[in-house]
Amino acid sequence: MDGAAERGAVAVARDGGGVVTRLPPQPGERIDRDRPISFSFDGTAVPAYRGDTIASALYANGRRIFSRSFKYHRPRGELCGCGRCGNSLVQVDGAPGIRACGEPVRPGMRVEHQNAWPSLERDVMSAVDRFAGPFTPPGFYYKTFIRPRSLWPLYEKLLRRAAGLGRLAPEQDERSWRTEYRRRHCDVLVVGGGIAGLAAALRAAELGADVVLCEEDVEPGGALLAEGGHERARELARRAAAAGVELLARAPALGFFDGLVPVWQGDTLHQIRAARHIAATGTIEQPLVFADNDLPGVMLSSGAVRLATLYGVKPGERAVVATTGDRGLHAALALKRLGVDVAVVADLRADAGGGELAAQVQAAGIGLRRGTTVVSAHGRAGVEAATLARVDADGRAVEGTAERVACDLLVVSGGAAPATSLLLQSGARARYDTASGRFFADRLPADVHVAGAVDGHEDADAAELSGLAAGAEAADALGRISSQDRRLLTEQRRELAARPEATAVATPPAVARGHGRGGKAFVDLDEDVTAKDIAYAVAEGYDSIELSKRYTTVTMGPTQGRFSQLASIRMLARETRTPLGDVGLTTARPPWSTVPMAALAGRPFEAAKRSAVHGRHRELRATVRWAGDWRRAYDYGDPEGEALAVQRDAGVIDVSTLGKLVVRGPDAGELLDRLYTNRMSTLAPGRIRYGVMTSEAGRITDDGTVGRIDDETFYVTTTSSGVGAVEQQFSWWLATWALDADVTDVTQGVAAINLAGPRAREILSRLTDADCSNEAIGYMDASEATVAGVRCLVMRIGFVGEVGYELHCAAPHGRSLWDAIAAQGARPFGLEPQRILRLQKLHILVGQDTDSESTPYGAAMPWAVRLDKEQDFIGRWALEHAAEHPAEAALVGFTCLGGEVPTEGAVVLVDGMPAGQVTSARRAPLLSTSIGMAWVPAALARDDARIVISDAGRRIAATVTTRPFYDPEGKVLRS
Amino acid sequence: MRDLFRKRRMWRRPTELKSSYDVVVIGGGSHGLATAHYLREHGITNVAVLEKSYIGSGAAGRNTTILRSNYKTPEGARFYDASVKLYEGLSRELDFNLLFSQCGHLTLAHSDRAMFVMANRAEVNRLQGIDSRLIGPDEVKQLAPAMYVGPDTSYPITGALHHPPGGIIRHDAVVWGLARSADAGGAEIHPYTEVLGLDRSGDRITGVRTSRGDVRAGVVLNCTAGWSTLLCDMAGVQLPITTHILQACVTEPVKPFLDVVVVSSQMHIYISQSDRGEFVMGSEIEPWTTYRTQGTLNFLQDLTRHTLELFPQLEHARILRAWAGLCDLSPDYSPILGRTEVENFHVSAGWGTYGFKAAPIVGKTLAELVATDRTPELIAPFALERFYRDDLVSELAAAAVSH
Repeated sequence: MDGAAERGAVAVARDGGGVVTRLPPQPGERIDRDRPISFSFDGTAVPAYRGDTIASALYANGRRIFSRSFKYHRPRGELCGCGRCGNSLVQVDGAPGIRACGEPVRPGMRVEHQNAWPSLERDVMSAVDRFAGPFTPPGFYYKTFIRPRSLWPLYEKLLRRAAGLGRLAPEQDERSWRTEYRRRHCDVLVVGGGIAGLAAALRAAELGADVVLCEEDVEPGGALLAEGGHERARELARRAAAAGVELLARAPALGFFDGLVPVWQGDTLHQIRAARHIAATGTIEQPLVFADNDLPGVMLSSGAVRLATLYGVKPGERAVVATTGDRGLHAALALKRLGVDVAVVADLRADAGGGELAAQVQAAGIGLRRGTTVVSAHGRAGVEAATLARVDADGRAVEGTAERVACDLLVVSGGAAPATSLLLQSGARARYDTASGRFFADRLPADVHVAGAVDGHEDADAAELSGLAAGAEAADALGRISSQDRRLLTEQRRELAARPEATAVATPPAVARGHGRGGKAFVDLDEDVTAKDIAYAVAEGYDSIELSKRYTTVTMGPTQGRFSQLASIRMLARETRTPLGDVGLTTARPPWSTVPMAALAGRPFEAAKRSAVHGRHRELRATVRWAGDWRRAYDYGDPEGEALAVQRDAGVIDVSTLGKLVVRGPDAGELLDRLYTNRMSTLAPGRIRYGVMTSEAGRITDDGTVGRIDDETFYVTTTSSGVGAVEQQFSWWLATWALDADVTDVTQGVAAINLAGPRAREILSRLTDADCSNEAIGYMDASEATVAGVRCLVMRIGFVGEVGYELHCAAPHGRSLWDAIAAQGARPFGLEPQRILRLQKLHILVGQDTDSESTPYGAAMPWAVRLDKEQDFIGRWALEHAAEHPAEAALVGFTCLGGEVPTEGAVVLVDGMPAGQVTSARRAPLLSTSIGMAWVPAALARDDARIVISDAGRRIAATVTTRPFYDPEGKVLRS
Repeated sequence: MRDLFRKRRMWRRPTELKSSYDVVVIGGGSHGLATAHYLREHGITNVAVLEKSYIGSGAAGRNTTILRSNYKTPEGARFYDASVKLYEGLSRELDFNLLFSQCGHLTLAHSDRAMFVMANRAEVNRLQGIDSRLIGPDEVKQLAPAMYVGPDTSYPITGALHHPPGGIIRHDAVVWGLARSADAGGAEIHPYTEVLGLDRSGDRITGVRTSRGDVRAGVVLNCTAGWSTLLCDMAGVQLPITTHILQACVTEPVKPFLDVVVVSSQMHIYISQSDRGEFVMGSEIEPWTTYRTQGTLNFLQDLTRHTLELFPQLEHARILRAWAGLCDLSPDYSPILGRTEVENFHVSAGWGTYGFKAAPIVGKTLAELVATDRTPELIAPFALERFYRDDLVSELAAAAVSH
């Protein structure tokens, strides 16, 4: 390819027929003209240079319409040029809502338009704009389709069809985007990489602080990069990096969560905790509100200048500039230098700043209109002309002052709003400064500093100085500053205070209007909210900033009010005749920049707990399912067969999921007495007791066994899912009561295996030298022994109703212990057969058979409560009450007369209405019948009472049993 | 339709407070305004609604707009069913389209235990005439084709409780419609009027002290949700309530593809897509107590991770805004509604995450209580007194994270 042609003027046919060119290379431009690349837009190849944004490349190729608006489907063009506005939302490789003006191009990326059909140029839905206007005032939907009610769903369907901007895949099986979290602790976090932020970071780093700086743009430098100071800005960035500052680019800070600042950068969410924060977030240039102010070709001054200087794209051929301050004058001069024919500058200030700048504008041959603003743009698919006029206090054009100027670019600058969102989130208060017409952040939290334009220091020198001072202050707060540096800081502060006030900025009218009807004047481009809409809302009584926001949806779109909040406040102030400062701001909410869900979500996995024996269960082809946080073997293919094996021979189950706590200390017994409803301190060493814990309200919260190892040591087991809460509860009360004991959760470090069945004793004695006789280790005894070479705590417990030994050992030995037991012929059984077996014994499962209202009395366990205990214990007062007032419902066993197995959750009926529920139900293989547990009215809690169960409409007859179905006397257990 | 072309104030501009009202309602949210609205029916119009901020600024404007009645207890199901039925007719009653979309409500089950709770709720609901049933994964897929219901996920879906009358409504519209009606009936709505104290003499409240002056009151109603314990303290009434935050967020609008409300208690999420195309999502109540509505990063992280398990295609959907609101949680997850030991001081509190769903029925029953001085049968089970009798109405399984 011919180098000159490539670097010089790439001429491309414009959509509308015109031709645009790239400007000659600009000093400091971001594009690399030696590296052309190509991407596609709506299926057509688009040439670009590395360094272009999607929008700059499209603009260079003649595109002027970038999106269609949310409600009226009006064409929208480039506005901010920095990735902040909602005018250039596109879909990139399937991801919606990408800001084309901030997103760098990548070779081969597939870019598509949003919210228009069939194309951006010809959008069928734009008919809404022409015809439906009068029918769609704010909240029109609240006033229509009320009668007949039957029509509303139909209307809603149409509304939904028109809703939304981007498009997502209707179905997708898994996440395709892998994202990460990174945690970073540092001394100082600087948010914003403009000249102030860079200076602050550099200074803090020089003084020894560990500094992180995050910047939204692709490189630090800020506004200066496009405004002739790129060398200075980039040099400062180099110095900051050299001083050790960690610079994060394309990394917006999303919010301020009590000192934790998430920063999104590509695939990574940095979670940054800093000792000090410096906000150097700059300002956001504001648009002006006038008729048809949304036409493509209406551009913020900063956007037009960025487009030209950073990307070498000529934003227009003939420009009109409307401004409220010096910014517009600077922009006019810059554009003129770049070869844009700047016809007129309308400066709202009566004296146009009164200084040298105005003279320069005139000297450059640009017409200057003082005290004048733009009242209307004209054109169909883009700006063709602008009407300028002097306006009265109400924003209406003064008779005889209107002037229509042809142009294809209308540059607007409505002043700069400090970007205070993060500061307000951190707890600062918004303060309206009447002199500058801005809201600043005031009353900052102690660990937050502020620098640069967000604090009113707008010109580069002042911003840099304020940054240096803020950096030094942060270092000072960290105790890293010498007395000499502190003197320098004082000096800098003094110098800063002595600087002349920035030149005045005029406050624009809430809306500027010419005579006659005029087009829509938008306050909020995202949401298509017009000035008229806000006036309408106020007239209807939505006259506070929050109410009008909620009614008109102003500031609620993708740009979160960056370009509309101030304008909506002005409108409200005007309509309610309230001073601007009294209108106030709406609450600043995170995230500051919209963020894809995947970026927040991090890696797509859920933490799961697995026992030390889990691999074996897999090999045995166990059905593995979630049980709380655990992955557990539900069965090994034949739950009933497994249950039968336990009852007839021997079985082995992995019960490592049980919560396990060691409670140790002189007051250990006392602590347990106060936490369990029965007495534990009287337990003899080597003995085990079942216990129940309740809430203050006497409701069962957990159960398990407590074994006494020695005088001061208890070994406590809890339910699998309850251990976290139990441990918390123990620790909380331990601290509250200041008892001399400590609690250690050893759940993950200890494997537990239950060997049960008629042959269990025989198997155990083959694996150990210890005496396994009933005399040596009887029911509810505990002792230490070496089993198959593994040191174990052996607990004789009978949850499944057979002679059983729970063997607890160090987790790494769990698998070999399991293997040794299995090798002796004990059949592995899973959770499901265990549930059948325990149901035969009417042993409850907390959380299954009990709910948040179950007391031990209702659950038929009055024996588990010892009200004769001398200690006060958790739940005592409630249980004393419960003991005196018989429960209305009771937990009982039942058998179904017809052998049906009702669904767990089926309802027990009395007089056709719900009066209880089935909590567990199974077929019991050994009993050849179906059994279950249910809550029934107390009157029915007696043997042989008949109950009726309603199960998905089916009626099932059942008989109540209050005693265990199997071994009711417990002879087997104790044998 | 005719209102389209007429600009009329929804409610009058606030005037000075009068010296005395028959009824002072504290709290300009959905409950307070609904009560004022229904008091009209009883001819009680000398009413003031006092709101410390703008109307609907608390829970009424911060909830995720879900309505349903598939509760677990017969008392709860009956009560919320009455509320949904009132909501169904409320747009016409108020002549204001509240955009109530009865798109159906799915509570997902990911475990046996969850299936058990769903089966129980389905059966209790069915017996009370509430449309609610247990469905399998295939039917779940039909109702929400966009959702991933396959096995390769941390929480495979084993089934769901489907509740067709459930859905979403425009929460602010409920507030505004009720406010307009209350105002038209004569009630005065006073925004930016904070209650600073209550004067109690014996068993009665005699006066209400506010930031805009003091008033006398015949009856005082506390409809302040997250702040209800603070207001009750002023009356010398103790509530067994703790206040927590609940968080929610919303994405940028995308073309609608989810037409049903999806809830997963196990993953602590609920999600719906509004008529604007935004995904509205929320999580469980935070365990700590606070009056400060500061959100957390953890919320956004857990919520997005869990949501993407069900809807992987939302990975590129952008979170636009997150917020927090206050919830007043009672020990049994049922409300505390009606009388207190102070004769003329009634409460609507203990609403946890389910207050907005109950707004019309609360208004109707509280208005009836004020007008007749008798506690309506429907709300008798929710009396504050139940905590003294130990006669609780446990909705934990159906209310904790089941929006």
